[in-house]
Amino acid sequence: MEIMKSSGGTAKDRLDRVDPYGFVRSDDFDYDSYEELMSDYLAVLTRRAIKWSKLLKGKGRVQKNVKLKRYVRKGIPNEHRTLIWMEASGAQNQLEKNPGYYQSLLGAQHDVKLMESIRTDLNRTFPDNIHFRKSSSPGLLRALYNVLLAYGHHNPTVGYCQGMNFIAGYLLIITKDEEKSFWLMDALIGRILPDYYSPAMLGLKTDQEVLGELVRTKIPEVWQIMRDHSVMWTLVVSRWFICLYIDVLPVETVLRIWDCLFYEGSKILFRVALTLIHHNQAVITKAQSLPDVCQAFKQITYGPFVDQCHAFMQKIFTEPGSLSMATLTKLRMTCRSRIIAEDSRL
Amino acid sequence: MSRKKAARGKASPRSPRSPKASPSSSSSGSGGGGSSGRSGRGLAAAAAPSSGLVYPSRPSISHSGEFYDMAFKVMLVGDSGVGKTCLLVRFKDGAFLAGSFISTVGIDFRNKVMSIDTTKVKLQIWDTAGQERFRSVTHAYYRDAHALLLLYDVTNKSSFDNIRAWLTEIHEYAQQDVVVMLLGNKADSTHEREVKREEGEKLAKEFGVPFMETSAKSGLNVELAFTAVAKELKHRTMKEPEESKFQLQEYVDKEMRTVGCCSS
Repeated sequence: MEIMKSSGGTAKDRLDRVDPYGFVRSDDFDYDSYEELMSDYLAVLTRRAIKWSKLLKGKGRVQKNVKLKRYVRKGIPNEHRTLIWMEASGAQNQLEKNPGYYQSLLGAQHDVKLMESIRTDLNRTFPDNIHFRKSSSPGLLRALYNVLLAYGHHNPTVGYCQGMNFIAGYLLIITKDEEKSFWLMDALIGRILPDYYSPAMLGLKTDQEVLGELVRTKIPEVWQIMRDHSVMWTLVVSRWFICLYIDVLPVETVLRIWDCLFYEGSKILFRVALTLIHHNQAVITKAQSLPDVCQAFKQITYGPFVDQCHAFMQKIFTEPGSLSMATLTKLRMTCRSRIIAEDSRL
Repeated sequence: MSRKKAARGKASPRSPRSPKASPSSSSSGSGGGGSSGRSGRGLAAAAAPSSGLVYPSRPSISHSGEFYDMAFKVMLVGDSGVGKTCLLVRFKDGAFLAGSFISTVGIDFRNKVMSIDTTKVKLQIWDTAGQERFRSVTHAYYRDAHALLLLYDVTNKSSFDNIRAWLTEIHEYAQQDVVVMLLGNKADSTHEREVKREEGEKLAKEFGVPFMETSAKSGLNVELAFTAVAKELKHRTMKEPEESKFQLQEYVDKEMRTVGCCSS
């Protein structure tokens, strides 16, 4: 976490041009608002850090239980993120059960097409992050390539899908470890998320429709607007699901969402989406055309509501109301069959 | 430590988030919010009439405050990494920033109003992800496109080889009378060139579509590609008499600039 330089001057003088994760702040970055926001959030972080270090004292492993879940929802301190993500997602187990597997994937014969499609996106992953620039040495570009290549061979059905580059990039920024990033990718794509990234993208299409159904019952005015202007959900939310909110929401907020994603699963993605839509329904329902609707869905991913990640993460568990796994499973089944039926008719 | 309340009600501080690299996510507010006239029909409407263009009876105003007389939907398609987003940003903002864009995921659009003769034409330009698996998500939008700019990268042979497959896809999903133009992008990269201009010309002739080489980096023919499409669409809408019919290919041939003689 960022340490503020204590000396005087403006917020811009006190803060670095590069954020703690390596992202270069844009010219129009609002240093004053950020500093105010962080002065509150730092107090939260300090409090949580003390609690976490007590909880983890002398332990290299953790057990999933109600207390840990509560802790995770309140945010994992960055120094413990790798450990908790690895433990909660089962990635640590896989890593221990398969020693040397990651290296063997890198050593094997490589699929040329796969290599090419990964290479196309390497320099287009985080050009605004100092660790992902060609000039940065050692940098994380090589590691990004390795993780994606290994994953593509590990799961040839998925191979490489655009969006996975951003996910692997974030994992590397946090873990700073290729092998752990690989197993966290495996946990996400193989177990936590439905089939978002496979060639048919059926899981993605399904979840977009599921979100639509949830909006229909929970926020009917927004559902009506989408219908009135014939806006397909894919147009406004595909990036939310594929990129797991990377480059949609602020970095700090994304990491807090991922804390819960690794612990509680893909339901969290719906909670975030429903919260954004519910909280901003007045903005969305003002739209008078399809472009207006698209614009509104972008606008709602900016501003204090999403910047204040701690308050936002509390909101996602209250604002959308109840969302049971049973409901989600049932909706997924219905939507999936509907999509398959529609596709076969075409 | 200050216990002041975090800023509330301030306009979008975009705080702890990194500056977004994607032009689509941060700057589309400049044009993305434009109204498409009185058309309430979405792009995804199933039974879109082939001439379903947006043609308000009186000048409309878009949210960016610009008047326009007619509006059209243009889509950028082609393999991943051929430069669709860069071409769009060059056209929209006149800028080329090497290595500053992230790969496009899903689909997005930006607006630009052009003056064609005395008419204000608004182009709503849709930028799409190039990777094959995203096509099942994006081809639903072909149906309502008035024009498709199909790009390949002259430094990447396989992006050129895939053009036939793209054209097949376009014929399958787009309107019969959609305007298609083939663009060989990155024409400034003389040393890495893998596809000759003549090859592009030949393929375009075979499919009966206009062709030119472009460079989002140098700006070569970028304005022209969009102007030509806008002119063609405008002429179709005005239903001008046959004798004065606008000839897209002729216009392109007359106006097009080519890269130096040693380029191919």
